[in-house]
Amino acid sequence: MIQAIDLTKRFGNKAAVDRLNFEIPKGQVVGFLGPNGAGKTTTMRLLTGYLPADEGRAVVLDKDVAEDSMAVRRRTGYLPENNPLYEDLDVVDTLHYSARLRGIEDLEERVRRVKGVIGTCGLTSVVAKKVGELSKGYRQRLGLAQAIIHDPEVLILDEPTSGLDPNQVQEVRSLILDLKKEKTLLISTHILSEVTATCDRVIIINAGRIVADGTPESLSGDLQDKNRLHVALKGPPAEVGMALSRLGGVGNLRPERVDGEEDGFLLESAAGHDLREKVFDLAVERRWPIVAMRQERLSLEEVFRKLTREEKP
Amino acid sequence: MKLPVQWAAVRAIALRGLRNYFESPTAYVILFVFYLLTGYLFALPFFLVGQASVKGLMDFVPLILTFLVPGLSMGLLADELKSGTFESLATLPIEDWDIALGKFCGYALFLLAAVAGLAFFAVAAAFLAAKPFAIDWGEALGVLSALYCLGFMYGAIGLFASSLTRNQIVAFVGAFMMGFFFFALGKIAGFFPGALMEFAESAGVDSHLANMARGVFDTRDLLYFGSVAFIFLYLAAQRLRTRRFS
Repeated sequence: MIQAIDLTKRFGNKAAVDRLNFEIPKGQVVGFLGPNGAGKTTTMRLLTGYLPADEGRAVVLDKDVAEDSMAVRRRTGYLPENNPLYEDLDVVDTLHYSARLRGIEDLEERVRRVKGVIGTCGLTSVVAKKVGELSKGYRQRLGLAQAIIHDPEVLILDEPTSGLDPNQVQEVRSLILDLKKEKTLLISTHILSEVTATCDRVIIINAGRIVADGTPESLSGDLQDKNRLHVALKGPPAEVGMALSRLGGVGNLRPERVDGEEDGFLLESAAGHDLREKVFDLAVERRWPIVAMRQERLSLEEVFRKLTREEKP
Repeated sequence: MKLPVQWAAVRAIALRGLRNYFESPTAYVILFVFYLLTGYLFALPFFLVGQASVKGLMDFVPLILTFLVPGLSMGLLADELKSGTFESLATLPIEDWDIALGKFCGYALFLLAAVAGLAFFAVAAAFLAAKPFAIDWGEALGVLSALYCLGFMYGAIGLFASSLTRNQIVAFVGAFMMGFFFFALGKIAGFFPGALMEFAESAGVDSHLANMARGVFDTRDLLYFGSVAFIFLYLAAQRLRTRRFS
């Protein structure tokens, strides 16, 4: 569906996008992550044909974006960064204008499409408002409505939730989740919860290169250098501590407060070494009820920081 | 760049542009100043010489248009480039050529309304003529057509200037300088030697305007305005295309 093959774009001497390779199959929703200036927007511009690549190819819907640009544009929806709109038009006019430019000439058909996206994007209450008077959340919905008015197979959204308040983020997010059912989506963002909430897969780029690619879960697994287990057993703390430290595979043990329990411990073991069953067996054997136990995972935030910091020159 | 043109898209862009003019205060301010200035300069010699004719418009309206058209055209593309809406336009299934042509058509329609407004002066002249309505209507039509053609050509130049920058003021100055070049070329032609003089005369607007204003519609004059407009339209479309490569 979407393919980048050695995709490269330079501005002056600096490569904004540097030999990028990835493939997004039909129906997948991919979060495109990276710090500011990592090359997210440039990549999206290359995929939509707004910018030509210096090297490599962008292939969307089995068509080369450079050679068959019109065919790609016809079946792709794009929400550019900052969602530029004409401030002086009202919502309905904006959508009719987009539909016209998309070649939907027939009035009946156009009205049907416009009504359709107004419903899908929850714009009913603001149809007659000027774009300049819309709140940021509604602007964003209008941008999305514009991007899907021709029912594209591929949707490329550049920061669809940036600058929104948490309620608005939630609204736009549920809209994306609705679209997800039938379209292939590439969504750039630097809001990480966005990705966990909506995406099947994450591609993290930094300085124009891919630094990680996988499901949110697999990424945090891959990057974990140690397995950490927080545990609190109801028993004499000194004895519990001693017993836990003797469990096979425990590398390091430290007393700590676990989920409000005073006498808890942090157990570290080698990556991939799960201690939970052993802790359970111990608890049963000694009749020390487990009051708290939590396996620590690297959050996407931590994965992101780890990858994008280390790679920086 | 591929022609055939996608007329549906061109029409949509043109109508949107036209509507934009009618809703923008800047356009009204420019028109107000235009009619005021024209009216004043038209009326002055009118009573002094005592001749009922619109020919007098040709003495100063071309110069006014040289200033006025850049004001109308400066935002055509610069505004889209600045606000970022160009990115949306440029990723739609339409060619850069369609965008340039659509913008230009919107301008050309508005110009038609603006120049048609000058017909008021012809009617005024007709009322004031010794024998009411006995003015040379062919000449009046010639004058208005000549002014329209000039504005048409200046508009294409302005569109090109507007494609060069995000800054409307820069677009204005650029359009004015290029327009003034064509405006002045015919006037200074006399200073050039031989063949160069002929070239300057036919490249400048004066000789073509003079023919039309007499009510003589020569294909060569129409071709002149049309081809200069086409060249600048083409340049504007090219500029939009190469802008992506920078």
